[in-house]
Amino acid sequence: MSLFRIIGGGLRALFRKQQAERDLDEELRAYAEIAVAEKMQAGMSREEAVRKARLEMGGMEALKEDVRDVGWEAALESFLQDVRYGMRMLRKNPAFTAIAVLALALGIGANTAMFSVIEAVLLRPLPYSNPHELARVASTWERGGITTPYSSSPPDFFDWRDQNRSFSSMFAYRAGEYALTGRGEAKRVRAVIATAGIFSTLQAHPALGREFLTEENRKGADHVVVLSYGLWQAEFGGAADAIGRTIELDSEPYTIVGVMPAEFFFPLPGSDAYVPIGFDDKVMTQRGAHFLQVLGRLKSGVSVARANDDLAGIMAELRKLYPGKDGKWGVRADRWSSALVGETRPALLVLLGAVGLVALIACANISNLLLARATVRHRELAMRRALGAGRSRLVRQMLTEGLLLALLAGAASLLLAHWALGLIVSFGPKDIPRLANVGLNGAVLAFTMSVSIACAVLFGLIPALRSSALDAAGLVRMSISPSGEAGRLRSALLIGEVALSMMLLAGAGLLVRSFIGLRSLSPGFDPKDVLTMDVSVPEAHYKNSVAVQNYWEEVITQLRSLPGVRSVAATTPLPLSGDDFSSSFRVEGRSVPEKDEPSAELRWATPNYFRTMSIPLRKGRAFEDSDRLGAARVLLISETAARMFFPGGDVIGQKINFGARGGYEKNEGEIVGIVGDVHHFGVDAPVPPTFYAPLAQAGMGGATVVLRAEGPLAALAQSARKLVQGLDHDVLVGQPMPMETLVSGSFGERRFYMMLLVAFAGLAVLLAALGLYGVISYSVAQRTQEMGIRVALGASDVQVVSMVMAQGLRLAGVGLAIGLVLAMMLKSVLKGFLVGVSTTDPATLSVTALVLLMVALLASYVPARRAARVEPMVALRFE
Amino acid sequence: MSQESRGVVQGKLDMLILKTLALEPMHGYGVGLRIEQISKGVFQVNAGSLFPAFRRLERQGLIEGEWRATENNRRAKYYILTKPGRKKLKTEAREWQSQTAAIARILEATSGEL
Repeated sequence: MSLFRIIGGGLRALFRKQQAERDLDEELRAYAEIAVAEKMQAGMSREEAVRKARLEMGGMEALKEDVRDVGWEAALESFLQDVRYGMRMLRKNPAFTAIAVLALALGIGANTAMFSVIEAVLLRPLPYSNPHELARVASTWERGGITTPYSSSPPDFFDWRDQNRSFSSMFAYRAGEYALTGRGEAKRVRAVIATAGIFSTLQAHPALGREFLTEENRKGADHVVVLSYGLWQAEFGGAADAIGRTIELDSEPYTIVGVMPAEFFFPLPGSDAYVPIGFDDKVMTQRGAHFLQVLGRLKSGVSVARANDDLAGIMAELRKLYPGKDGKWGVRADRWSSALVGETRPALLVLLGAVGLVALIACANISNLLLARATVRHRELAMRRALGAGRSRLVRQMLTEGLLLALLAGAASLLLAHWALGLIVSFGPKDIPRLANVGLNGAVLAFTMSVSIACAVLFGLIPALRSSALDAAGLVRMSISPSGEAGRLRSALLIGEVALSMMLLAGAGLLVRSFIGLRSLSPGFDPKDVLTMDVSVPEAHYKNSVAVQNYWEEVITQLRSLPGVRSVAATTPLPLSGDDFSSSFRVEGRSVPEKDEPSAELRWATPNYFRTMSIPLRKGRAFEDSDRLGAARVLLISETAARMFFPGGDVIGQKINFGARGGYEKNEGEIVGIVGDVHHFGVDAPVPPTFYAPLAQAGMGGATVVLRAEGPLAALAQSARKLVQGLDHDVLVGQPMPMETLVSGSFGERRFYMMLLVAFAGLAVLLAALGLYGVISYSVAQRTQEMGIRVALGASDVQVVSMVMAQGLRLAGVGLAIGLVLAMMLKSVLKGFLVGVSTTDPATLSVTALVLLMVALLASYVPARRAARVEPMVALRFE
Repeated sequence: MSQESRGVVQGKLDMLILKTLALEPMHGYGVGLRIEQISKGVFQVNAGSLFPAFRRLERQGLIEGEWRATENNRRAKYYILTKPGRKKLKTEAREWQSQTAAIARILEATSGEL
């Protein structure tokens, strides 16, 4: 049969429905008449013939229904009919509809929001062509069996780039910051400083002008810049003649050679400019200078595993050539999309799992509501069944009603999700890449739609099957006295809800406890009342250590004179700022082969730093004002470093010599004191062994000012910034930031996950409480008569209330017990997220159970009160 | 309630209706009666099976309905076999015959023939 005929016949039938109906009626009447006539001819009486004919034809309505069911239009039509009928039912019970839609919308909305985050952070392809070919190549440093990824050194990068057979191109870059000077007050420019291959590897090309040339990667030829679209707009108003003009970065002229398109960003949104790395001949031999990020584009068809084999081969050769330096260094390639996301991925997936449970609880809730309503609707179903509706027709109808409900909820959930995403973006930590790009888009809509439909099937199927399983007679009986089976089913669903909420709440509780534990840990200094402010001194103005030393002395003297300032110092890199500096070193008098030299973190600080930050001095002395250029070079050592490198205790007086240079001067000196440990990388991260050198003796240009204040920091912040800016307009002064913000920022990701899980658990508990309330109220309503009799026979209020509440608590109790077991099974899921708390922490679990128990008490108390207020006479007249 | 299961082989009612209508155009009751008569009462087809089948065949374009007067001067919807219907009947009948012949051969087989 041709498709044309199938569609045409169906459409004709749809549009000429009434005629077809009349036709069918007439045909059936004619059939009956002929049948009667034939039977009378065969000798039956008229009555007998009519009776016989009717018997033979069977139920007329059922027959017509069977005829109507032929053809596709019948399915569509019955669906539309179901939709209309369903809408009517939903409108007729606005309270039921509102509660169901709200509960479901909460469940689906949480899922929509969570999926939006995952879509933006994990699923959305990177905005470069063929992003799956991009791979991060990183050095690895192996120590004590643990391999950690590391930045790469220029010579390693060039060897990888030139010797590999797996990558079509490769480039190296580092993040940098410049002060945009010479145009009034200095502005901060976030730059990517990269080798010439950056744009060709990313397959992204300037909208205006040209890319970097290879020779621009030599020191001296590197003063060109490609602007981001944003900076071009902001500084040049989008003028095409910006190409060829000059801007001043850190007071040095850079020629603008290109402008990137508006949609381009690298490596994350927010880069303002791209500048070539100028390598000098010296850096080309420094295999230990690990400061580059490397990104390559795999040749098509080359897997990451093959690239890794290739690189490992190159590295093995290099180790032979340079045995001293590369002994413990390796190399490793990872797909960039996953390298970028890193540890965020498992956390987000756990949260998606949690939010899925919330949806499940919401579904159980609606299922329960529908089951309760189905008991009321049995009469209606029995009627429809008696009138010839088949079982599948009833199931279809009830599922359609569920679908309507779910789609309504899905639409409402988009509003909730939109609102939730606003919160997530504004409160989300900055270290989750691309979180700011989150939004409702096609993929999210499709997800919400699928979840809604899945929910409809999930919550609609049980009640639909149950009601339709009964034949007409059974349904009529059911409508008179409901069976216990429905009650058991509803109790089981409720127990499931409580169990799942218990599990979620326990998980959230553990995260909260772990977080509180973290907050109470000390970072090793006192962040309260401390203000920080980055200051970058352009090399062009301060060409030597003396100039730098004088600048810093001036800044600190001036700042100290501000009212409300108790003490001032400068340091770099600042703890918890994300920056760090480490170097290998030699201890004078110990002869150790170069490749076995220990390495440690190195910090620079002005004399007052330890007092300002309240970092305790353990032994010897701190820095003093006399520790300047020209004086004897001194160093301080952290407790951990002292223990690690001088287990004998003979620390003070040791002479240390670092391989790396910080500022203009070499880093070496005699240890004069031991100071307390500082959690530089995060309160929950291990304490690194650290040395401190005086800022002045190192000739460091850029550092962070730290101010300890009395009184509000906000007022001080602006006056401090103005003051430093006033000293030299070409110095880049960052936005002042309270040290406490940095401390809490270092918990950002943890707090974000904790808050989300707490929100989800809260939702789960709310839904479970609603469910419990619903089940108990319903059972109270059904037992009104029984209550009346009890009251009439002398049961007191207290007895009735406690009887009803006992029912609720029994259900909740079983749920709690199951939930407790489930919570214990969370171990492997939560282990990575907890610090200092066991996954079976008894305190947390008992508090969780107690909270849920209280909620259960409340949810069953309200209907129990109502039961106790039943008037015996009213109750007995009921029904 | 259904006598179809007692009478006509599942799915073969359509073929029987087509065959009946190939003899002459006929109204619904007549088709049922004719099948019962020709099968000597083995197959009894009631309205509940006939009408959905008519609708199905009509929709497939194998038969067409037309209101006509009966011999007793009543109005009834007569069904007429169309050209595609005739073709369909031919292929169905051929298929059925080859199938029944094959089944008969299998049922009559003795061990010696194997």
